Amino acid sequence: MNQLLPLFVIVPLSATFLIMIFGRFFKDFNKYFASCVLLFLVVLSFYSMISLNGGLSLYKVGGWQPINKIPIGIYIVMDGFNSLIVCIINLIGFLVVFYSISYIKRYTAENYFYALFCLLIGGMNGVVISGDLFNIFVFLEISVISSYALVAFGVEKNELEASFKYQVLGGLASFLILFGIGFIYWKTKTLNIADIRAAFSNGYDKKYYLFVQLLILSGFGLKAAIIPFHAWLPDAHSSAPSPISAMLSGVFIKAVGIYVIIRLFFNMFEISEGMAILITTLGTISMVIGVFLAIGQWDIKRLLAYHSISQMGYVVMSVGIGMILVSRGLKPEVASLAITGGIYHLINHAAFKGLLFLNAGAIEYTLGTRNLKEMGGLAKVMPVTSATSFIASMSISGVPPFNGFFSKLIIIIAAILARFYLLAALAVIVSIITLASFLKFQRYAFYDKPKNPMGSEVKEVPFPMVFSMIVLSILCLLLSLLVIPSVREVILAPAVNILTDPLKYSTFILGQ
Amino acid sequence: MKEIISIIILPVLAGLLLFLIPEKLRTIKGLAAVLISIITGYLTVVIYSSGNQVMHPDESAAVSGFILFGLKSIIDAARYLVFNSDNLSKLIILFISLFTVLILLYSIIYIKEGTVKNYYSYFLITLGCSYGAVLSDNLLLFFFFWGILGITLYKLISGHDEESSATAKKTLILIGASDSIMIIGIGIIWKITGTLSIGSISVPTTNALSVVAFLALLTGSFTKAGAFPFHTWVPDYAKSAPASSSAYMPASLDKLLGIYFLARITNKMFILNGWLTILLLSIGVISIITAVMMALVQHNYKRLLGYHAVSQVGYMILGFGLGSTIGVAAGLFHMVNNAIYKSGLFLSSGCIEYRTGKENIDDLGGLSKVMPVTFVATLIFAMSISGIPPFNGFASKWMIYQGIIDFGSGSGIASKLWVLWLGMAVLGSALTMASFIKLIGGIFLSRRRPEFENIKEVPVLMWLPLAVLSLFCVVFGVFATNLVVPKLFMPVSGSFRFLGFWNSSFVSLLVLISIILGIILYLAFNLKKFRTEDSFIGGERIQDQTSYSTTEFYKTIGEFRFFSGFYKKAEEKWFDIYDLSKRFVLWLSHQLSEAHSGMLPGYVLWVVAGLIIMLLIMI
Repeated sequence: MNQLLPLFVIVPLSATFLIMIFGRFFKDFNKYFASCVLLFLVVLSFYSMISLNGGLSLYKVGGWQPINKIPIGIYIVMDGFNSLIVCIINLIGFLVVFYSISYIKRYTAENYFYALFCLLIGGMNGVVISGDLFNIFVFLEISVISSYALVAFGVEKNELEASFKYQVLGGLASFLILFGIGFIYWKTKTLNIADIRAAFSNGYDKKYYLFVQLLILSGFGLKAAIIPFHAWLPDAHSSAPSPISAMLSGVFIKAVGIYVIIRLFFNMFEISEGMAILITTLGTISMVIGVFLAIGQWDIKRLLAYHSISQMGYVVMSVGIGMILVSRGLKPEVASLAITGGIYHLINHAAFKGLLFLNAGAIEYTLGTRNLKEMGGLAKVMPVTSATSFIASMSISGVPPFNGFFSKLIIIIAAILARFYLLAALAVIVSIITLASFLKFQRYAFYDKPKNPMGSEVKEVPFPMVFSMIVLSILCLLLSLLVIPSVREVILAPAVNILTDPLKYSTFILGQ
Repeated sequence: MKEIISIIILPVLAGLLLFLIPEKLRTIKGLAAVLISIITGYLTVVIYSSGNQVMHPDESAAVSGFILFGLKSIIDAARYLVFNSDNLSKLIILFISLFTVLILLYSIIYIKEGTVKNYYSYFLITLGCSYGAVLSDNLLLFFFFWGILGITLYKLISGHDEESSATAKKTLILIGASDSIMIIGIGIIWKITGTLSIGSISVPTTNALSVVAFLALLTGSFTKAGAFPFHTWVPDYAKSAPASSSAYMPASLDKLLGIYFLARITNKMFILNGWLTILLLSIGVISIITAVMMALVQHNYKRLLGYHAVSQVGYMILGFGLGSTIGVAAGLFHMVNNAIYKSGLFLSSGCIEYRTGKENIDDLGGLSKVMPVTFVATLIFAMSISGIPPFNGFASKWMIYQGIIDFGSGSGIASKLWVLWLGMAVLGSALTMASFIKLIGGIFLSRRRPEFENIKEVPVLMWLPLAVLSLFCVVFGVFATNLVVPKLFMPVSGSFRFLGFWNSSFVSLLVLISIILGIILYLAFNLKKFRTEDSFIGGERIQDQTSYSTTEFYKTIGEFRFFSGFYKKAEEKWFDIYDLSKRFVLWLSHQLSEAHSGMLPGYVLWVVAGLIIMLLIMI
């Protein structure tokens, strides 16, 4: 099992090169090869999650053994939490690449698309499974740079402008992260996450420590698009080709943003109450402001992009509540409930937001517009898109029996049990406005009469796109099953345990 | 035991299977749906006649696991799967079955191609989830079923034009919003009591937390049932949805469920304090009066019925607000009666629309001769809703009045105000009468238009449900005090004695005798000899100019100085909680998006400012 871990990085990276080389000579090599690679990664990620069986697993690159119990090699770590994220990345990645087979035909330079896509996947997998800060940063840059290129893939005015803004702010984020990493290395003389934890436990300067934490938080906060660091997201996510938007919104901001924040603030830094409160506040602000920004939008993809901010707010708020409780050492079962809610919502969001962007892509594919005011009456001509987008809309709005309902329910109940009544009330209000804005989407896109007379070319999208949308909508229903206790024990509980018991991670790694 | 699980799962599974059958075979789909509803109807009768039972987790998991997967795979989810059939839920499921069968029969002909896609699927899912909501003992399980009903409500409206799609959106937003608010109530209950079993919760409303929980759950119940101020979806829905959908959801099932939940929370789950009682009673009378005032000025008959669907809820809330045994029984009785005549009214409005295609009272007239069955049934429903003895509406309203008078002898501010509650309730009843005279007069009486000469009565499958429902109106009215209330409603509320002397059957007999006397007098003195002339001035016939439509008489109400301001504001949706919040949200949204100018330096500034602020706060 351990020996398979590097494949998550090696396979997509080598696929990138192979596509660039062989894609030139063989027509259609790129799309089928990329799909096969992603399918392999899906199988691999689920296999590794199951074989992990709730424990941790470690691979030392190059076989460098620790000296005096100080890890010196590159560590690749897989635990209950990041195995989930890896599964999401590759599963959504596979569906998106399959969807792209039809969708990306409208663009030239398909080779570059698939190559960059594999690079993106490799980068994200790398960020998630790295056990040290340096590799997190390197893989972060790999994935972020390929995402810059993918956002600008249409090379029209809007795309280039969005990509430029994204690059400037992304560069700022990378600078803040690197700055923070530098400060950490200066004091601790190590970059391994587990080792840093151990080094900091020997005592440290409080202010210095806080300063580093804030640098890291705002750096990865930029990647995760937490308000006030969110400004690049609506432009970038709406300008990218739709499958890429699905990837960026559904997976990317989680893998390189939220995941890293959670991982570092639970397992690397010592949890402090002040920091936990700050994170919760940021999450709440994102949740509330994001949704208010979203409801006024008429461009579908901008609307969806703003909702990503808001939904990530839910995740951050919920995990933050868990963090506050862990730092106070109170009510451990409520803390784990809150964290469960957050991670559960993270997974669900990947499914429904990915699906929504694919729906938006299908609409754009047939109508050639993203403006809600120019649509209407699509339910008749595009039944699959209509049905799947309804499922996704209900999921994100938290209506039973879809997955979003259960995760929001857990989040709200955890907030009430933890006595954060205001946060519970805000979560409810945001949920209502989310519902309102998605019903707006449903109404203007699928209901009502068509605004412009539709030609005969307006029909359901081709099979690969339909297939991906149907699989994701089934996923939206199936993920509801995670709420059943025995399923939750197997899948979510290991992820929560590694966070509620922060020292488990570092003791395991340093003990190897 | 098994029946409880089967009546939930059977319709849902059947509904899901019907998705696979193409729309062209919708008559077959309809017949299948009728078959399923009859089977489940039979099962509910079995449940009703057996004793009360709480279904234990293991057992229900075993049974449902057996039905669903053929194995006990969901056994560990068992602590949420608790079903309970007590007197209240048994009563409700019985009536759910009744309405489902009747309205499905009606739908087979009424639902034409292209009205609503997958009508029968959503219909059956609604059925299963309604049973589920009523029978579940766990609050979360209850809420799960309750939430799905919002989706089916949304899907049972066509949404092919601008108005109906806007209505569908508004409906689901209001329903979904109230459902989300309910989560807060459920969470607080969990926090306070540590349990979610509806049967064992009893929370005194002494501190702010429990009051908030109560209000949150009340919001859910009120929105579902359509009470002020969350009622605004009901008239819109009634206007835009197919009549059978309106008859099914807002008129009968949503009332049954909403009031069922109101009964649960006011009676058992919370012990109300004095202020909450006043709140309930005031909302009751406000619902009665405001909705009926709006109904008076409507021209669209479906919308008019929609406002009455709101107004009648006020009576039920009054009943439950009183909290006494007679009040609860009266509230439940009125709920059932209302569901009977209101779904009947919606169905007859569907008949009228089916034959004439007109939606406004002004465009109709004189249909009594050509559609006699519809006319008689509608007349009975109208008299029932207006509270005319001996029909059922009178019987339950009379019990509510009795309850209020009885309540007046108690202490507390709410009791001191009993004359107010009583007066408003009676006034509301009178105004209901007024608006139904408009409906009956405008549609069935008055002068028939030439284009309606060749209209025929609706097919038998459409008028049969009407006939059955009107029969129920009569039976429930005539045998109210000696049969219906003691047999059906006293087991739920506990037994009580009626105030004063009132025996519905005896009074019905008196009414009958006086009608017969009247007919005898009419025939005996041969009063038929009177002369009819068209109106004329100076020998000129001016029939066309002097023929006023019935609605003209009601215009004056809207022109009273006191009311006209209110009506104008209501036109502008100033009293619509949906539009008010929509305006606020969009305003805020606009303000926030102004800040997103798209200027990169500004965005960079935000990042830096955010970092600095965080540094200042933390260090």
